Amino acid sequence: MKTLIIAITVITAFAACNSNITSTDKKSNNTTTVATAIPVNNNNPSKGIVEHYLHIKNALAKDDGKDAAMGAKKLSEAFAKFDESSLTAEQKKTYVDISTDAKEHAEHIGMNGDKVEHQREHFAMLSKDIYDLVKAFGSGQTLYQDYCPMYNSNKGAIWISETKDISNPYLGTKMPTCGSVKETIK
Amino acid sequence: MHLRQAKKAGWVTLVVLLAVQLIRPARNTSGQALPTDIKNSITVPVNIQALLQTSCYDCHSNHTNYPWYANLEPVGWLLNNHVQNGKKQLNFSDFGSYSIRRQLSKLKAIGSQVQDGEMPLLSYTWMHSNAKLRKEDKIVLINWARQAMDSISVKN
Repeated sequence: MKTLIIAITVITAFAACNSNITSTDKKSNNTTTVATAIPVNNNNPSKGIVEHYLHIKNALAKDDGKDAAMGAKKLSEAFAKFDESSLTAEQKKTYVDISTDAKEHAEHIGMNGDKVEHQREHFAMLSKDIYDLVKAFGSGQTLYQDYCPMYNSNKGAIWISETKDISNPYLGTKMPTCGSVKETIK
Repeated sequence: MHLRQAKKAGWVTLVVLLAVQLIRPARNTSGQALPTDIKNSITVPVNIQALLQTSCYDCHSNHTNYPWYANLEPVGWLLNNHVQNGKKQLNFSDFGSYSIRRQLSKLKAIGSQVQDGEMPLLSYTWMHSNAKLRKEDKIVLINWARQAMDSISVKN
């Protein structure tokens, strides 16, 4: 038994001294892009993406974090499924810029079904991405950019809706009709 | 009988422990600052830099200050996992390579995570009490993140 204890102590000491392995990191190079208006075509990235975004939006308006997480998982899948190769170089640049950010927000909303407020923080940033996506690629449907002035300690936030009537995803059932339409996106 | 069994179990544990010591993940300790370091893309005052260093950099940069027990496997594996995941979410050493959109998202998330007390993680401050952010630290960090967002938005 004694030998055993001594042996374990020795290993521990040995392990503690053995620590100089370095690693270098690969870095990716993302470039910034400015959204440019691109006409709707057959392979429109907005199609499936907007649908699942609206799913999240409607779930948050009902304070339903679980359902929002489900929508977010579908949104992540839609991003993963989209075939970038059909885009022109410039379209691709715009798409990658938006989707890299949006995917992360979708992932976080998907993982936090029990934390609706945290989901809303990511939803605010996701909404900005979806707005830019729809502006750049169109969506084939009439959408509304709505604005909630009270969210985030009165700093405000936008969201995209398929209905003219306000259904606030930030304040949820507490203040469902708070907010206003800022822009109609055709 | 009992003693013999205990002894055997002890030796088996020892051999397994010995074996796992040999499998070591690469350390996250690159010494030099990359051109993509956050300092090279936005203003980071000295006090903010110090806060980031003690409270965030172990998991969100290319340089982790490892505690001694990181040398014991499988603890080292767990830590490595944590660090890789942290860096995937946000890496201050690589901030300059992010798109403007992503930089803004990250700064916003820094503000809200600190505000909500979600970051630094409780499990981390448990072992690193100096990494805990005081109320006044939180305020300066949140203000810094907001100002940084404004300056990025103005520039682009």
